[in-house]
Amino acid sequence: MIRYALTRGALLLLGLFVASALIFLTLRVLPGDVAQQIAGTNGTPEQVAAIRESLGLNAPLWAQYVDWIGGVFRGDLGTSLYTGLTVTAELAEKARVTVPLGILSLLFALAVSVPLGVLSALRRGRADGTALSVGAQALAAVPVVWAGMMLVVVFAVWLGWLPAQGFPRGGWSQPVDALRALILPALTIGIIEGAMLLRFVRSATLQAIGQDYVRTAAAKGLTRNAALIRHGLPNVGLSVISVLGLQVAGIVVGAVIIEQLFSLPGIGRMLVNDVDARDLPMVQGELLILTGFVLLVGFLVDLVHRLLDPRQREAA
Amino acid sequence: MLRRTALAATALFAASALVLAGCTSTADPGPTGATGEPNPDASVAIRLVLEPGNLDIRQTTGAALDQVLIDNVYQGLVSRTTDQEIVPALASDWEVSDDGLTYTFTLEEGVTFHDGQELTAQDVVWSLQTRKDTPEWADSARLANVSSITADGQTVTLTLAQPDSSLLWNLTGRAGIILKEGDTVDYQTAANGTGPFVLEEWQQGASITLTRNDAYWGDAAGVGEVVFQYIAEDQAAVNAAAAGEVDVLTGFDPNLTEQIEQNGDWTVVLGTATDKSVLAMNSTAAPLDDQRVRQAIRQAIDHDAIVEAVGAGQTLYGPIPEPDPGYEDLSDTAPYDPEAARALLEEAGVDDLELTLTIPSFYGTTIPQILVSNLNEVGITLEVDAVDFGVWVNDVYTNKDYELSYVNHAEPRDFENWANPDYYFTYDNPEVQDLYEQSLRATDEAEADALLAEAARIVAEDAAADWLYNWAGVSAVATGIDGMPADNVNARLDLSELTKSE
Repeated sequence: MIRYALTRGALLLLGLFVASALIFLTLRVLPGDVAQQIAGTNGTPEQVAAIRESLGLNAPLWAQYVDWIGGVFRGDLGTSLYTGLTVTAELAEKARVTVPLGILSLLFALAVSVPLGVLSALRRGRADGTALSVGAQALAAVPVVWAGMMLVVVFAVWLGWLPAQGFPRGGWSQPVDALRALILPALTIGIIEGAMLLRFVRSATLQAIGQDYVRTAAAKGLTRNAALIRHGLPNVGLSVISVLGLQVAGIVVGAVIIEQLFSLPGIGRMLVNDVDARDLPMVQGELLILTGFVLLVGFLVDLVHRLLDPRQREAA
Repeated sequence: MLRRTALAATALFAASALVLAGCTSTADPGPTGATGEPNPDASVAIRLVLEPGNLDIRQTTGAALDQVLIDNVYQGLVSRTTDQEIVPALASDWEVSDDGLTYTFTLEEGVTFHDGQELTAQDVVWSLQTRKDTPEWADSARLANVSSITADGQTVTLTLAQPDSSLLWNLTGRAGIILKEGDTVDYQTAANGTGPFVLEEWQQGASITLTRNDAYWGDAAGVGEVVFQYIAEDQAAVNAAAAGEVDVLTGFDPNLTEQIEQNGDWTVVLGTATDKSVLAMNSTAAPLDDQRVRQAIRQAIDHDAIVEAVGAGQTLYGPIPEPDPGYEDLSDTAPYDPEAARALLEEAGVDDLELTLTIPSFYGTTIPQILVSNLNEVGITLEVDAVDFGVWVNDVYTNKDYELSYVNHAEPRDFENWANPDYYFTYDNPEVQDLYEQSLRATDEAEADALLAEAARIVAEDAAADWLYNWAGVSAVATGIDGMPADNVNARLDLSELTKSE
């Protein structure tokens, strides 16, 4: 187990390193740079050249990369070319929106998918079970933007229960307002991610129903459902954990869109703005952290899976 | 990516919203109807579209920053009204010598910066001189004609090497911003000006808050606080308005008028604007180097259909829009006539022409669709390449690597670009350059304007580009809000007169 964890950890670090080089190079392929953006559409070539020089954009690429990675090892992800604030400080600031948003989305997704997925598997072949599964198919295909808009119209515009957009200026010092601001966006991501997860839970449950140990337990006098819940669900849980990594990636992508739609000052919106502004130190720092986060979740999922699944332990 | 999805979703959404609206009887009243007096401490929330990358008024160009900071937080010696008249600001008055070479400004007394320090004539001299001498500062080149800047008591004198009829106008913009000499404020994220509002807070990615400057040297602002909320999506902005979260929507999509007026106390206000959608044509290569081909493109485009599709604005047939000096109606230079366009192409010996239109993706698909079908009708196949704005700036603006392109040129009085052969318009006509130069050197305003008009006609007759339409400034304003500027809000947003009754 220890050896597995070490190997898997080394793989994680290698993945991060490859990602850092890829991120750095891909961003340099983007046409346009921050100096052109700052000078704008009435800027003179002299102005652009002067800005470029003052920002140190004329250093060779390899030197810029080494500089960046050297900083990352010291815990310094770089500095925004626009605001002079450190990437770390900006990320910490924006994470206060995005992390709670992600957790809330995941909770909503699980709350939707696990009970309904199991239910739709148990009611397979009946009208309500079929309806659940078809409904999930349809929901998973809904554009995120549209779903968000509909929720806003119902809960913010008509009922006036929740804010339509924005985040309180005081942030989490106004905990109730902050939480209210996140409910609709999290619900939007949660419903759509949940619909995808539901289909997965359903098929995992169906698989469990067909397993020998559930059938054996049923033969020993438990009802089919009781047998499934007692012996099958732990395995369903395992399967769900193994796709959580994918779910997290989906939530990260969802957050980028949703934060834009709901004008939330989080990492996703910052990323879009920074790409537009060609604030490359910010973008590469943000992407590295997001990539690192997704890779880390994958790493933890693998470890947990190995710990919990007796079959994998024996194989090791 | 998001924007394209959003556009498609918005159409779908608007349709569903209308269906659902039939099912509801109690619409949220939104902002309540005003009954009382203006509340001097009111907080007004204004939706803006584009957030600036930072707050550096010295260096970061763009209307997103001008809108929020000029007139409200920072001031110049002179300012401009919404109908483009030049008025006193930090200078109580000024004189221009008959030869147009000496500008004498009298500075207001008792002006203080937001940090409490008094404004001196030396601050003015330093600000203008530093602007002129620092190439990375915005509009630095606009002070090139100024040979000396001196102060004597409360009098500041600018001496010019040659007359410059655009100088006063330029001083109402970035070139004329007055800063505190040697200020240590972090310009990128904070501000220290002399205006009626103080920059309170910038929440990156969300909002900028200004509060009333109680120590202001002039008449105090009529509200306690202004919150600029950055909401990119039009539909999201309308939802925020319907939920009563904002008081004013700028950059309003006129096609959503019905929807917002359903939501209670909202008025859609149309203002004039100097925004021009310029369809640039790269005339450095065949076949666009042939005036007949460019003229054919101009006459193939149905400008009335564009204005109708956009939902506001007016047609424009030359480089100068109606609010600017030198405007005249140039519709005779390119009447809509597909037949004539086909004949011109034939005469130029061009058939099966294929062109690429490169545009920033945030302009949506409405206009490109019209252009594709208009040009298709005269035998030109148009491929649309919608790119991110950074790519547009690099490929089109900087490298002039394009065939056709359009963007909105919002700046008022920007005819200079047609007299600049290095500008991405690729228009190089010595006659126009000479007329523009004469107009700059003219000391008589009427003469300067007449020369501009003459130059503008030549640009239009050369079919140097096409002007798709002249925007209208469209805002939606809640009942109880007064003093919200309606004209040219994309360039400036002076909020000193704003009030809110509750």
